[in-house]
Amino acid sequence: MSLNWKRLIGIDNLSGEYAFARAESTGYTSAKKIPESWVKTTCGYCSVGCGIEIGVKQGRAVACRPDSTHPVNRGKLCPKGLSEHYTIDAENRAKHPLLRKNGILTRVSWDEAIATMVEKFRATQEKHGPDSLGVLSTGQLVTEEFYTLGKLVQLGFGTKNYDGNTTLCMASAVSGYKLSFGSDGPPGSYEDMEHADVVLLIGANIAENHPILCQYLDTNQEQTVIVADPRVTKTAMIADIHLPLKPRSDLALLNGIAHLLITLNLIDREYIHAHTTGFEEFEKFVAEYTPERTALLTGLSEEQIVKTAVLYGKSKAGFIGWTMGVNHSTKGSETVAAICNLALLTGNVGRAGAAPFSITGQCNAMGTREAGFASGMPGYRKFDDPVARAELAAIWNVDESRLPQKRGLAYPDIIEGAVGTKIRALWVIATNPMVSFPNQDVLRHALSNLEFLAVQDGYHPTPTTELADLVLPAAIWGEKEGTYTNSERRVSKVNKAVEPPAESLSDFDILLRIAAKLGCKEELFPGWSCPEDAFNEWRRVSAGRLCDYSGISYTDLAEGPVQWPRKPRLYSCGQFEHPGKKAKFISAAWEPYPEQPNKDYPLVLNTGRTVEHWHTRTKTKEVPILERLSPVAWLEMNPRDAKPLGLRSHDRVDLVSRRGRVRGVELRLTEITAPGQVFMPFHYFEANVNDVTQSAFDPISREPNYKQCAIRVERTGANV
Amino acid sequence: MDIDADEHPGDSHARLKTEMWGKCCVVACNEQNGNPAGMNWRRVGEVEGGHYPNTQRHYLSMGCNHCLEPSCMIGCPTEAYTKDPQTGVVVHSADTCIGCQYCTWNCSYGVPQYNPARGVVGKCDLCHNRLADGQAPACANACPEQAIQIEIVDIARWRAEHTGANAPGLPSADDSISTTRVTLPAGLPPDMGRVDTQRITTELPHWPLVFMLVLTQLAVGAFTALWMLDLFGFGANLSIPAIAALSLAGMSLGASTLHLGRPIHAWRAVKGLRRSWLSREVLTLSLFAGAASAFAGMLFLDLPGRGFAGFIAALCGAAGAFSSARIYIVKARPAWFSRYTIAEFFSTTLFLGPLFVQATGAGTAGWLTWASVAGGAAQFITQSMKFLWMTRSEVFELRASSLLLTGLLKNHFLARMAILLGGGLILPLAGAPAWATLALALSGEWLGRWLFFVSVVPKNIAAAFTSGRAA
Repeated sequence: MSLNWKRLIGIDNLSGEYAFARAESTGYTSAKKIPESWVKTTCGYCSVGCGIEIGVKQGRAVACRPDSTHPVNRGKLCPKGLSEHYTIDAENRAKHPLLRKNGILTRVSWDEAIATMVEKFRATQEKHGPDSLGVLSTGQLVTEEFYTLGKLVQLGFGTKNYDGNTTLCMASAVSGYKLSFGSDGPPGSYEDMEHADVVLLIGANIAENHPILCQYLDTNQEQTVIVADPRVTKTAMIADIHLPLKPRSDLALLNGIAHLLITLNLIDREYIHAHTTGFEEFEKFVAEYTPERTALLTGLSEEQIVKTAVLYGKSKAGFIGWTMGVNHSTKGSETVAAICNLALLTGNVGRAGAAPFSITGQCNAMGTREAGFASGMPGYRKFDDPVARAELAAIWNVDESRLPQKRGLAYPDIIEGAVGTKIRALWVIATNPMVSFPNQDVLRHALSNLEFLAVQDGYHPTPTTELADLVLPAAIWGEKEGTYTNSERRVSKVNKAVEPPAESLSDFDILLRIAAKLGCKEELFPGWSCPEDAFNEWRRVSAGRLCDYSGISYTDLAEGPVQWPRKPRLYSCGQFEHPGKKAKFISAAWEPYPEQPNKDYPLVLNTGRTVEHWHTRTKTKEVPILERLSPVAWLEMNPRDAKPLGLRSHDRVDLVSRRGRVRGVELRLTEITAPGQVFMPFHYFEANVNDVTQSAFDPISREPNYKQCAIRVERTGANV
Repeated sequence: MDIDADEHPGDSHARLKTEMWGKCCVVACNEQNGNPAGMNWRRVGEVEGGHYPNTQRHYLSMGCNHCLEPSCMIGCPTEAYTKDPQTGVVVHSADTCIGCQYCTWNCSYGVPQYNPARGVVGKCDLCHNRLADGQAPACANACPEQAIQIEIVDIARWRAEHTGANAPGLPSADDSISTTRVTLPAGLPPDMGRVDTQRITTELPHWPLVFMLVLTQLAVGAFTALWMLDLFGFGANLSIPAIAALSLAGMSLGASTLHLGRPIHAWRAVKGLRRSWLSREVLTLSLFAGAASAFAGMLFLDLPGRGFAGFIAALCGAAGAFSSARIYIVKARPAWFSRYTIAEFFSTTLFLGPLFVQATGAGTAGWLTWASVAGGAAQFITQSMKFLWMTRSEVFELRASSLLLTGLLKNHFLARMAILLGGGLILPLAGAPAWATLALALSGEWLGRWLFFVSVVPKNIAAAFTSGRAA
């Protein structure tokens, strides 16, 4: 650094760097933030799917602003979106292919990287069987890449042990929808949050996690917003009614409401008769969820439960939204089905304002749900549906026998498989399990067992790429083209604003190179050169399915985003996807959560997010302003629990569970959390809450029960 | 947006609803102004109250309040601040600013922030250039909840209604008549308050000022003593201590410009004489230096009439020490906002001045020892009483300062008091050599002045729990 004497004596006050200027596109603003051009795209963080424009100056992304023409975000962005350009120009972007040689990650050419990867995977598969290769994908890629990746993994590499981090996130919503409606597919739209006169949010802190959606809540004065959450979240605070229920008693509450709706005759018998099956059995089943028992199980008053049931039952249009409070549970799929039960009882499906609505996590979790090839075949096709199999085989011009007969291992089972001998090589794409997977001890064991670990990511080092044998550097948001589909099935175009750094390539290009090396490019991806080729094939594959993209082209998307299947709601005609076209009532019994607190582990740990950070913080750690606003992890504890421990705010504490210890977390005493419960955000590798979370999974969706593990809190260093 | 500047010349008035959770405004502000992440002209603080499940937390977003009586502007020695007569926006000029940071001590909300990279202060200007173009400020534009709104209000009416700018977690709007109307929902829990009160941190030491203040006060005391020695005929070899004291004063005044972000522009510090105690300090201490030079020169040349020059030096010196003290008597820094600051600065003068004269070999007069002992005793009493006052206070910032002195700074504080006893009482009465006593006393006063700066807990808006304060 050269010594700037002019600055030292004060002649220079960096007025150039801090200059302001006026431009037509920005108005009066910091001159260095005025771009030469704006590129329209879609935000790459969460599934709200905000339209965003990247400001480009001399080939670099210098600004982000909301796309005021986009129907979702109405000219606003959350703080992550407003600062998203910083994720591109980050220092720790992965720039070159790296191969571990003599224990050290060493720069190699793309040819060597891909040749080694294919060779190692093939060798492993030859030795241990095709399914010994596991693949962990993400919700972060564009749909075109998910579609390509699915074919490459299932038909090219021929392993069915392929799943995404979406299983850590919304798999229960998928499974629940399948149980109730016969297919995945959120039936409503964001605008339903405006039309509804009752909005019930369960385990969804949208003010923190999907802040832009809160705009939809404020518009309807007649509306009653009810939030069920054991913690007094930001969302609970803006609700008209907060139901501070006991941890994971949501299923009991839902069954209790169902029982009340039936006994108070607030149900739509005509709708039930015409469009559902299983009502009689369900009616008998929920009879035991009397208000007394529901109150006992949920910790709510009978009055609160009755009031909620009556409000929902009498509403002209009732909207139920949920996120991870419901999904992160061993009863997640069934709880989702229990939400759908309420909608079916009252006919609150497929009408304006009426929807059981899963608010999804990642920007393109929906894309992988629809076009991916992991928990089902592309286009919401079931592995065991002979018609669907024949259809796909014909479109792809492959023998039907090459399609897997059933789903392969889900994410946690792939990890479990690596602990054993089932999985010997692993390919991780755009996800960071070293932060996000529950019970990290198992994961560390699994990864150390592998013969070969390839990690494809936009950033290096991350806690996961550091362990890799091969790192494939990928382009990220802002550097590549494709589409994202948001929670309300809205397909938005994702565009390239700047070139990826150094040698990194888009995931699409990486996949095609791998396919070429594998020798299946011309068979699986004939003549493909750009993402639109994948999109056009996906349009043909999805034609006639519930998630029908056939009427949506890149040309259409250039005009603006489009909801599939070109209408705002599913099931408006009451035709569901089960055989017989009727929806099902699902009788799902409440059960206590798996790890109950006891004397040694007296506190119930809840995990979640903060608005400033995204998932495992790979991206947001690189955004200085977000790090400034939320630099470290913290543990929320009620002062009544802290008193006997002699703990005060800002003390450093350890969280201890049967599985591990998180060290040195800053304690925050607050009445936001109930006595007996504690809360910690999960973004921080430096203090990773997943060192203590449990290996308990929903038997249907395989989604982890991240929440409600039993821990104790100790002062850091107290028992050394 | 409701700007109607033609009709009512008045103050822009940011209305603030508190349903904010995104901190979009903070990010948008930093992007708008091209500021580094560590500087946030708009900040979001948290206040919390109630008991589970009836807990409330509110988020207070705050830029500049564009006060009716802007304490930043009143304190500024260079007239870098202007208040727009039409919109009431308080605008700061980075080109006029010399980086003295006095405004950062004056504002009860911690709004002006010093940018060390630039050597100047910066603050929210309500994006007045955007407003002039008919565009919303960046913060208001970015807020999904429309929680920040701008309007013009009638000054006289707002003076009467300015309690509308009060809210839990905010300093009193009385300090400077903040114009931000904060709208909180009715029925707040009675314990609603700041969430950051457990995190008490020290302030910057401002080393050049620690150095300068103690030495100028020493010089003022020394010249007063020399003048009196000369006047009453105790004088022999007074010119050496006079020249020594003059050198110290000159050096320390010179060194004090190192505190400025832009030392080359130090001369601008006299521009604000009408309002700023800093300008007055610069002027009075310069006059003191001039008169003291004259007095020293006349002593050296043994010229007559030097009694008058000495008197002027003593007078200007006292005015200088008083101006120095008044700089720190600002509402925004409660531990400074009392007569103890004046007592502390004058005690230093009385304590060190006579000792210095003795140590440099001029005075053998017994009253010099007694004057110094009196100064030391005064300082001891001042510090003790200030400490007791702070510990018993109901003002959070005062209690917090006393907690720093008994916690993080305990050893420093004990050493400071012990040195006062040693250098002020034990050594002089035991007849120790004056230079030894002076060395101890001077180090004690430097330590004390360092404590003065680091142990002050400024008023500020409630901060968020985990994030650090703005620069």
